[in-house]
Amino acid sequence: MSSTTTTAGQPVPAGRPAAPRPPQPPAPAGRLRASRSRRRRTLTVLALLAPALLGLAIFFVYPLLASVYYSFTRYDLVSPPEWIGLRNYEYLFTQDPKVWIATLNTLWFVVFLVPIKIIFALGIAGLLVRAKHASGVWRTVFYLPALVPPVASVVAFVFLFNPGTGPVNQILGFFGIQGPLWFNDPAWSKPSLVILGIWVMGDIMIIFLAALLDVPREQYEAASLDGANGLQQLRYVTFPSITPVLMFAVITGVIAALQYFTEAAVASGVANGKAVVGEGTGAALGYPGNSLLTYTQWLYVRGFSNYQLGYASALAVLLFVVASIFLILLLRRFKAFTPEGTA
Amino acid sequence: MPLHSSQHARLAAVAALATAAALTLAGCSAGESGSDFESSTPTSLEGTVSFWHFFSDREAGVIQSVVDDFEAANPGVTVTVHEGQDDEKLRKAIATGDKVDLGLSYSTDVVGNFCSTGAFRDLGEVITRDKVDLEQFSDTVRSYTEFDGVRCTMPVLADVYGLYYNKDLLEAGGYTAPPTTLSELQDMAIKLTTFNDDGSIKTLGFNPMMGWYENSAAHLGPLGAAEWLNADGTSAIAGSPGWTELMEWQKGFIDELGYDKVNAFTAGLGQEFSADNAFQRGSVAMNLDGEYRTAFIADQAPELNYGTAPMPVIDSDPELYGGGYITGNIAGISKGSKNPELAWALLKYLTTDTDAVVKLSNGLKNAPTTADALASPDLEVSEQFQTFLDIMGDPHSATTPPSPLGAGYQQTFEDFWHSYQSGAVDDLPAGLAEVDTQINDSLSLVSGP
Amino acid sequence: MIRRTLYWIGENAILLALAVMFVSPIVFVALTSLMSSNQTLTAALWPQPFEWSNYATVFTQAPLLRWFANSATYAVLATVFMLLSSVPAAYVLAKIKFRFANVIFTAIIIAMLLPPQVTAIPIYVMWSNLGLTGTLWPLILPNLLGDAFSIFLLRQFFLTIPSEYADAARIDGNGEFGVLTRVMVPMAKPGIAATGIFMFFHSWNDYFGPLLYTSENADAWPVAYGLASFRGIHGTDWGLTMAMTILVTVPVVLIFFFAQRVFVEGITLTGVKG
Repeated sequence: MSSTTTTAGQPVPAGRPAAPRPPQPPAPAGRLRASRSRRRRTLTVLALLAPALLGLAIFFVYPLLASVYYSFTRYDLVSPPEWIGLRNYEYLFTQDPKVWIATLNTLWFVVFLVPIKIIFALGIAGLLVRAKHASGVWRTVFYLPALVPPVASVVAFVFLFNPGTGPVNQILGFFGIQGPLWFNDPAWSKPSLVILGIWVMGDIMIIFLAALLDVPREQYEAASLDGANGLQQLRYVTFPSITPVLMFAVITGVIAALQYFTEAAVASGVANGKAVVGEGTGAALGYPGNSLLTYTQWLYVRGFSNYQLGYASALAVLLFVVASIFLILLLRRFKAFTPEGTA
Repeated sequence: MPLHSSQHARLAAVAALATAAALTLAGCSAGESGSDFESSTPTSLEGTVSFWHFFSDREAGVIQSVVDDFEAANPGVTVTVHEGQDDEKLRKAIATGDKVDLGLSYSTDVVGNFCSTGAFRDLGEVITRDKVDLEQFSDTVRSYTEFDGVRCTMPVLADVYGLYYNKDLLEAGGYTAPPTTLSELQDMAIKLTTFNDDGSIKTLGFNPMMGWYENSAAHLGPLGAAEWLNADGTSAIAGSPGWTELMEWQKGFIDELGYDKVNAFTAGLGQEFSADNAFQRGSVAMNLDGEYRTAFIADQAPELNYGTAPMPVIDSDPELYGGGYITGNIAGISKGSKNPELAWALLKYLTTDTDAVVKLSNGLKNAPTTADALASPDLEVSEQFQTFLDIMGDPHSATTPPSPLGAGYQQTFEDFWHSYQSGAVDDLPAGLAEVDTQINDSLSLVSGP
Repeated sequence: MIRRTLYWIGENAILLALAVMFVSPIVFVALTSLMSSNQTLTAALWPQPFEWSNYATVFTQAPLLRWFANSATYAVLATVFMLLSSVPAAYVLAKIKFRFANVIFTAIIIAMLLPPQVTAIPIYVMWSNLGLTGTLWPLILPNLLGDAFSIFLLRQFFLTIPSEYADAARIDGNGEFGVLTRVMVPMAKPGIAATGIFMFFHSWNDYFGPLLYTSENADAWPVAYGLASFRGIHGTDWGLTMAMTILVTVPVVLIFFFAQRVFVEGITLTGVKG
């Protein structure tokens, strides 16, 4: 941003305080005028905020309340909701055969996918900071996979890791290694998605890279003069300066993992290899052996494959409660998500 | 600049207004209510009717040709055809409006759910009004098109499952006839299996992997006279010895080859309904499949030298040989239809008009469901196709019973079978009992008090 | 000196090895997209012969042009609508102090961070009552009423602009609307551009939304959803599937290269300053 223009058309240099315009004392214009202008201002504020407020009401507050109501009903979208009290919750906590599997799968992604992705992103960013030659090319190479639409990258990975004909196992075979069944084996399907996660780590890698480049060189030099070795420099100089970024990556990563859907759903559908001629998407979700069935997919299956919208709402309410707890725990440590947070 | 309390009030008012608007939006009655049938058969038909079905590509063309005939016979009627609509999409569209007049599903699984929820309307009234003779359908076919006394669907051809075998490959292995028991099938299949240098499977005699192509619990059940549901709709699986025998056979078969090897081989096979179909390419010598495969072979692999037979049955009851799994395409009129008379006219035409049924059967190579069509001289019956007509008439053939859970009870069981075949189940009887509990819990959630 | 050289070689060797691993999936996908159906089911890694016709055939196997048009409509309208509704809201939340600001901001944060599946059911029922399921409108129209993530992001950008500019404009006699359009928007252009690109990519890549709302109407599918369903429905071979995978990715990569600077700035600002 080189310069920008004010209403009057004078260029104002950006990044510096505004042109020296002496702060004027409030005009002694009488209470009436002040209150009228204040009222006008309030109306403008309201007008500017109105769409967003309406959006919050329609697409956030109302659905939350409605979900709670639906969760006490049997509702198939063909007949009106029928009140059945706590029956859905009873089924959820004591009978649902898959909700626990789906919860554990989701937690698996929170516990493994998020940190592994962050470690790789941080490691590669660390290498890139030191690369002097053709740094732009390196960055593009490692960033590019993050751009590939998730559906496309999953379809591609299921093909690449296809145990029968995919290139990965062929190359492993060339080195005399018998490759696993990847997306077709319940024990390997989640790790396969972690590999995919590493491949697309570019977006957080770029953030780490920027943070690392921001660390002033002098700090390293000073630490070096004080006799700090490489590890100590990492501990006392690098780490403190990237902590906010790390927190950001953890929070967004956990949130993404809690709602993990697309990658797992598409991987199941494509790896299953069965033509979905008559049944529909829901039938393939979780393949192989429910190993990729995440909580949000289970909610989708109950709601939109089985058309048990009442029960799916109970799942949604539970998800809301659990996600809120996670958020409260994480957000208390992160300033930007509080109203006082500044850039 | 803090706002004053009067401004608070205004903000709050806006929020309240917004919430009220949202509630109004959501408060409209769920779904549209359609029009009713007339009390007497309309003399002339006019208008547009939307027809949703699951077929695609070549098969969709066959459906279209019969729809064209219908339009030619009823000049005032236009049919808009939506192809490639699976059950999930059909259900969505019916539940959320009047987009669907006539819906056709690939399986009878939806009947229990669509009849009991009213997604498809009761046809009893118009069947009586127009004096449609239901005796022209066989008992099995009649049973799978209604639920709890409500007839909400009509059969649009039947699917019958049997064994396909590659004559050249069997002959090369020294076999002249297809197997009739499951242990024979296993022996032959193992002998016909070939391996690559690295020990991986090159071709299979028969792929026992549950979930692959048409390998499903539903399709295997009749081979062991296995039972799905009791009369009250609860699960009968654990109490049916047929399942245990079928499962133990299937697992023994997989284990003999090695689960991982079969899995890797399976993952490298082509898509079922493409020209890369493993049976058509000779990657498997024998295969469980439906009668419609004859049409795919004629279209995609006309050179293939193959035969058909009933599927082999459990060793403990060889009497069962000759039967197989029967299901069918079914069609019904949606709750929200604004043109139920047009939809009914089209449905009647597709399911009871002999010319239409014969044309559909010849094109799709599905088994016709009416007595007249079966007897029609125009019905093209190849030697391979005849096998399936025989299976359909066999007393040991069976179907999957309709349930308010749709195919849910089958999925629950198949899930369990999948983990069983992968070696994750130690105690089979306990696992089957757990399957029963899960199905019954699910049933009570959907339709219990 | 020798040690440093060895260090340098070591680091670059690691980088090079990693780079090969990161690039090779794209290479294999590109190669497979040029293979015949038969060849994709064999061990071959190199196309023989090159089936360039795959890229023409995908357009006949599926209504690809239609799907691309749907994706473009979805992404462009969603982005424009989002900017129209979210920029003013973000400005108010960043630059004007009033008593309910904190409550609203907190609500926006929660709405942004909650999994969309929590609220999906009542919203779905709402759209079905309006008869708009089976179309992309349920995914486009809500953007007219603000998008939580975009509002959050834009607010962060507005916060970086010194308030003195706004004060100066007010003294010049501008109302809040004037301050917003004449001063803040021009100054926040990079931030607005980045937020817009994020929204565009988000819509282009969306899978859950189209699955929920358009699955029953193939004419309304965006291309990402079409790709996910393509192989299953038409029994399509890997060669064609990989060709389509490439085609879905190309527009995103092109946009990235044209708007690279804005984009990377946007990403970094989100994380670093966030």
